[in-house]
Amino acid sequence: MSLTALAAGVAAQACTPVHLGDWRNLLAVIWDFLSLSLFSLGGGNTLLSEYHHMAVDQYCWLSSRQFADIYAIAEAAPGPSSMIVGLLGMAAAVREGPLWGVLSGVAAEAAILLPSTLVMVAASLGWSRLRDSPWRVAFERGMGPITLGILFAVGLKILRISDHDTPAYAVSALVCVLMLRTRISPLWFMAVAGLLGGLGLVNR
Amino acid sequence: MGRAPAAAGSEAAPGLASSRRPSHRELFMGMQQVALSSFGGGLSAWSQRIVVEERQWLDNEAFMTGLTVARLFPGPNQINMAVYIGSRFHGLSGALVALAGMLLLPFSVLMLLGLAYFELHMVMAVDRVLAGVITASAGMALSMGFKLVGGYNRDPVAMLLAAGSFVAMSVFHVRLIPLVLVTGPLAMAWYWPRQR
Repeated sequence: MSLTALAAGVAAQACTPVHLGDWRNLLAVIWDFLSLSLFSLGGGNTLLSEYHHMAVDQYCWLSSRQFADIYAIAEAAPGPSSMIVGLLGMAAAVREGPLWGVLSGVAAEAAILLPSTLVMVAASLGWSRLRDSPWRVAFERGMGPITLGILFAVGLKILRISDHDTPAYAVSALVCVLMLRTRISPLWFMAVAGLLGGLGLVNR
Repeated sequence: MGRAPAAAGSEAAPGLASSRRPSHRELFMGMQQVALSSFGGGLSAWSQRIVVEERQWLDNEAFMTGLTVARLFPGPNQINMAVYIGSRFHGLSGALVALAGMLLLPFSVLMLLGLAYFELHMVMAVDRVLAGVITASAGMALSMGFKLVGGYNRDPVAMLLAAGSFVAMSVFHVRLIPLVLVTGPLAMAWYWPRQR
């Protein structure tokens, strides 16, 4: 899809960040976010492994470990966790200074939201016609199972890149079960787990 | 929830007639109130309380329809919900204003956290706390699939589609866009409503 895709996978560790001062690189990045927007099924979590691919393998903005950090920050911060895109944008330019980091973060967030917002406006206004359309029925029923498979793949990917020791895996498994069985706010899980990390009881 | 009551198709006009029509400014402030109230979580519950009960912009049925549309279409659910509310009253400009109201404060907080992270991530204590938080967020990520699986486990074709997508992504590292472009049309063809 883009020139830098060649670099992916070849140099996992020692890669150099893509320079966004070159407008062709900048356009490629913006295009990547714009085109991913319409594939954010299931509330946007399906995009997480694409974000990892982009930020770590393709453009080299972050190490895999930093990506896990940023994911945790976006989950713990107030507001929709899909705002992680703002942090990816920041990671792409923060070396140039904090102002560029913030500008780039805003640009990335705007790019990921623009196409899906336009579609959503059209859908909201035309819903009375769409509701009974066979396209709507087929889309809803067909995309559901695909979203399900992708969400499992994304969950596994996040677990992998979190790069745990055994107690840490146990915490993840426990949190997963508690998320499914109880209605405790996830903020508690993150607070307790953060404490365990601070005390050195779970490591990576 | 997906199956709205029979009246829902024609609810657009009466739903609006019985409720107030907010200005752009009110939309912005209302969505900002939703965002602020939900800093500890539970966004859609807060959204319902503020938009339906307090400000009475929508009746409950229109709100539920919004949740259905927001989940169905691409984009983050809560953000799509803001777009739905805004666009009902002022089209695209309403949608953008609602979006800005919902995102301004949390996004600013996130940017500050991000700057702090890139400043401090080499500090040992920060790294250790984050290592802990990550274990919880990985557990949360893992739970996403399990949450949905109950809806599909009686449909073998759905399970095959789900398993196929999972294997393609996890084992063969197929990227999301080509995966959806191939499996999506096949799945839609299979589930196309047939008259019987």
